[in-house]
Amino acid sequence: MELNIDEALRYLGAGRQAPPELRREAEDTARRLTARLRPRYTYRVFSLERKDGVLRLPEADLTLPGKDAQTMLSDCGRVVLLGCTLGVEFESMLRAEQARDMAKAVLLDACGSAWVEAGCDEAEREIAARFPGQYLTDRFSPGYGDLPLSLQPAICGALDLGRRLGVHVSERCLMNPSKSVTALIGISDRPQMARIRGCAYCAMRETCTLRKGGTRCGN
Amino acid sequence: MGTEIFQHGILMLDGAMGTVLQQRGLPPGGQPELLNLTEPELLASVYREYVAAGSRVVYANTFGANGLKLAKTGHAVAEVVRAAITVAKEAVAGTGTLVALDVGPLGELLEPMGTLTFERAYELFREMMEAGAQAGADLIAIETMTDLYETKAALLAAKEATGLPVLVTMSFEADGRTFTGCTVASMAHTLEGLGADAIGLNCSLGPDKLALLLKELCEHTRLPVVAKPNAGLPDPVDGHYDMGPEEFARALLPCVEAGVSIMGGCCGTSPDYIRALSAALAGKQPGRRRYRKESFVCSAVTPTPLTGVRVIGERINPTGKKRFQQALLEEDLDYILDVAVQQEDAGADILDVNVGYPGVDEVTMLPKVVKKLQSAVSLPLQLDSSNPDALEAGLRVYNGKAAVNSVNGEPEVLDRVLPIVKKYGAAVVGLTLDKGGIPRTAEERVAIARRILTAALSYGIPKEDVWIDCLTLTVSAQQEQARETLKAVRMVREELGLQVVLGVSNISFGLPNRALVTRNFLIQAMGAGLTLPIINPNQKEMMDAVAAYKVLSGEDESCRDYVARFAGETPAAKPVISGNSDMTLDDAILRGLKADAGRLAAEALQTESELSLVENHLIPALDRVGEDYERGKVFLPQLLSAAQAAQAVFEVIRTSIAAKGGAPVKKGKLVVATVQGDIHDIGKNIVKTVLENYGYEVVDLGRDVPPETVLNTVREQGVRLVGLSALMTTTLPAMEKTVRLLQTLEQPPVVFVGGAVVTPEYAKQVGADHYAADARQSVEIARKVLG
Repeated sequence: MELNIDEALRYLGAGRQAPPELRREAEDTARRLTARLRPRYTYRVFSLERKDGVLRLPEADLTLPGKDAQTMLSDCGRVVLLGCTLGVEFESMLRAEQARDMAKAVLLDACGSAWVEAGCDEAEREIAARFPGQYLTDRFSPGYGDLPLSLQPAICGALDLGRRLGVHVSERCLMNPSKSVTALIGISDRPQMARIRGCAYCAMRETCTLRKGGTRCGN
Repeated sequence: MGTEIFQHGILMLDGAMGTVLQQRGLPPGGQPELLNLTEPELLASVYREYVAAGSRVVYANTFGANGLKLAKTGHAVAEVVRAAITVAKEAVAGTGTLVALDVGPLGELLEPMGTLTFERAYELFREMMEAGAQAGADLIAIETMTDLYETKAALLAAKEATGLPVLVTMSFEADGRTFTGCTVASMAHTLEGLGADAIGLNCSLGPDKLALLLKELCEHTRLPVVAKPNAGLPDPVDGHYDMGPEEFARALLPCVEAGVSIMGGCCGTSPDYIRALSAALAGKQPGRRRYRKESFVCSAVTPTPLTGVRVIGERINPTGKKRFQQALLEEDLDYILDVAVQQEDAGADILDVNVGYPGVDEVTMLPKVVKKLQSAVSLPLQLDSSNPDALEAGLRVYNGKAAVNSVNGEPEVLDRVLPIVKKYGAAVVGLTLDKGGIPRTAEERVAIARRILTAALSYGIPKEDVWIDCLTLTVSAQQEQARETLKAVRMVREELGLQVVLGVSNISFGLPNRALVTRNFLIQAMGAGLTLPIINPNQKEMMDAVAAYKVLSGEDESCRDYVARFAGETPAAKPVISGNSDMTLDDAILRGLKADAGRLAAEALQTESELSLVENHLIPALDRVGEDYERGKVFLPQLLSAAQAAQAVFEVIRTSIAAKGGAPVKKGKLVVATVQGDIHDIGKNIVKTVLENYGYEVVDLGRDVPPETVLNTVREQGVRLVGLSALMTTTLPAMEKTVRLLQTLEQPPVVFVGGAVVTPEYAKQVGADHYAADARQSVEIARKVLG
């Protein structure tokens, strides 16, 4: 598992043009973070039903509304629900860092976002290895396209994230700890297009206000 | 029923309820507690099967029957709990089986991770406990907890609302910590101190993985220990647990040998597992326990066994510190946190916390400060007050096992404070003085120590939790007393075998080169048996002396810590201060060099006024960084570094003004808040950091702030500018609500809004006066409004 520094720098609005001292500081922060904690994840495989054009995961009691889920999962008979988090330990680390040094806290926050993505990547590799000869779609999360954030509680419930990862979701669909991600990955017999691959491949990457604020839509 | 059921042989609990119900075709999800109302017969059949399999205690189906989780169902806690206990009691009637009120986590994270307060959590648990007791539960089982703080709220509620025995189990990961970082030792000492009757582990792991942790738990508690593991681990593809009943039972045998005496199963288990376990354990007795009898304090995440010298940091104390006094009067908790963080970074093991000062209500201030400190400091705390109510208020909200400073040999003081120490399971510092003052001889001080020990034991406080302060007197005033103190230290350590505390710094008062005398006294005192020196850990020479002492005493095995401390240290190495004599204050701010900026500001104050420093150096330098940020030449971390260098300058200015007794420099006041329902507050904190360093007074209402709180603050404090942040689309409505509410004021404040999903159009639409894309723009807005 490796934390992508360029990704962290992008969350800070700097990216590849980041001055060397900023990059160095980001690398130091990433080293501290990755030595202290690792992302934890859990996933489960659910069957996918289509009835009257509606997508459903019956065992999870979950309906997937909107066009984007239809497009992403058009070839799939099963869906993996994935949850990944840096846990409250990251929150404690970030709070302590904010008390010490706000500049470093901002770096840590960006590195945390990149680190939880690295955890999802790792989970995805593990899932791929479980299904040899099958193909995975890109992973996507509530909030992606027209897939509503309001699915968050049902996904967390289906994965029992409170018990499995200590992740809670609020009435307003915010996940706590904040560096937590839920995602869907379709499983298909046929090769799948790389429709989305994180912010680096996102059409909104130049104008995205989330990224400018140091955060992102997925977590 | 008493706690004797936990005391003899092996007590068999039940297994999972959810797993069994799913096997019978009930779909997962929903609110399982409602089955008490809709499917009582189904539940009763499961209880009966557990009794037949050997369970002597069954957990009623009340795991999530709390006010938060039931809120949306339209059913009251008392109704659901009563139904659940009744069903269980009727099902097991005549078998001698006991029914436990099952209490799981509330389902929301507590402060500081979440926004649920400790007090609210307590109330929610209390409601459940009262309902359970009224419905006739025989005992209370608090389980599957991962947050020690939430567990404490539940346990306090159980103890205060009922007289029932309480069994508490928490869920750990294989790394020996819960999701919130709580360690096995911290759990054991905290919960035993709070009066749990049995403690243990449940859920999250199978019995094989749990065995090591259970062994550790047995070493850290005198209480009966519980194991209620899962049937192994679930398969991600089909969700089935991987361990069968026989394997499960076999894997639990090593736990019995380690002394675990109360058993059952959690997720994935069924009556078959309990039957197999009962058979495997037939005729077996739990193994002999090996309890490590040691003095101990902890936060949830930092267990601190007192097995050598541990440094207590003394800096959180207003005595003689003008700047600290000012912070207390202004309730500037960030300043106090900063003092704490510095001591943690300097290597302190425990932090003394004293907030007693004229004009400060300790009873409300101490818990506030405790909560603030434990939000970002991982060290255990020692609450330092002569006000018993303040001590109780502080201990109540403390997450871990704290120490109390202090009692003395006076019976009235002992009788007032020791019951509080006992109730909250704290350690206590006893000062060797009484009405007659500080005795002159070591023998008389030791006699008082004995009295304190006897009193503590009579209240049920174990000997390991009694620490004695032999009292340091100023050597320049009473020279012969230094030797008496050292002698008393030796006697308390050798004759009574207690932990010894000394406030060391006092010794050198009034002398030149104080540090030299203090350090020598510290070294001699450690040699005499001092284990808990109260010192300023920021003084490197003191911490160096402690490090060297630990080498000589053998505590620092293979000199590892000592070598790590000094390896690579070159005499001139002071990385934060560049030492560049040509550097100007403006340069230091621009480059974000905090220490240089502070030093240069102090120098500049010799010739310039505080105001001129702000107007002619600080603000222009910050403006230049801000412009570079807007042009994309520097980025957010650099902007904040400059802001923090400015902060160092402000600290120098504040200290200088406080020393003269003048009014603080403040440019104008504004309120910032992250709106209700939103917990992502780093953006708001960035804005606050930058604005404060421009000299604005920022009232930070925190996150998840109800619109009414913003309104009331604005009204009460006459604030003219308000900044609101929201990160998620789902919390934007709360932003609008807050803005609209503020507009109902006769003289509404100017409102600016920002946050990841906020746009200029949205700002206009909700009626905000300004949109701030970043911290830099919020400065421009503040200037326009406040000057």
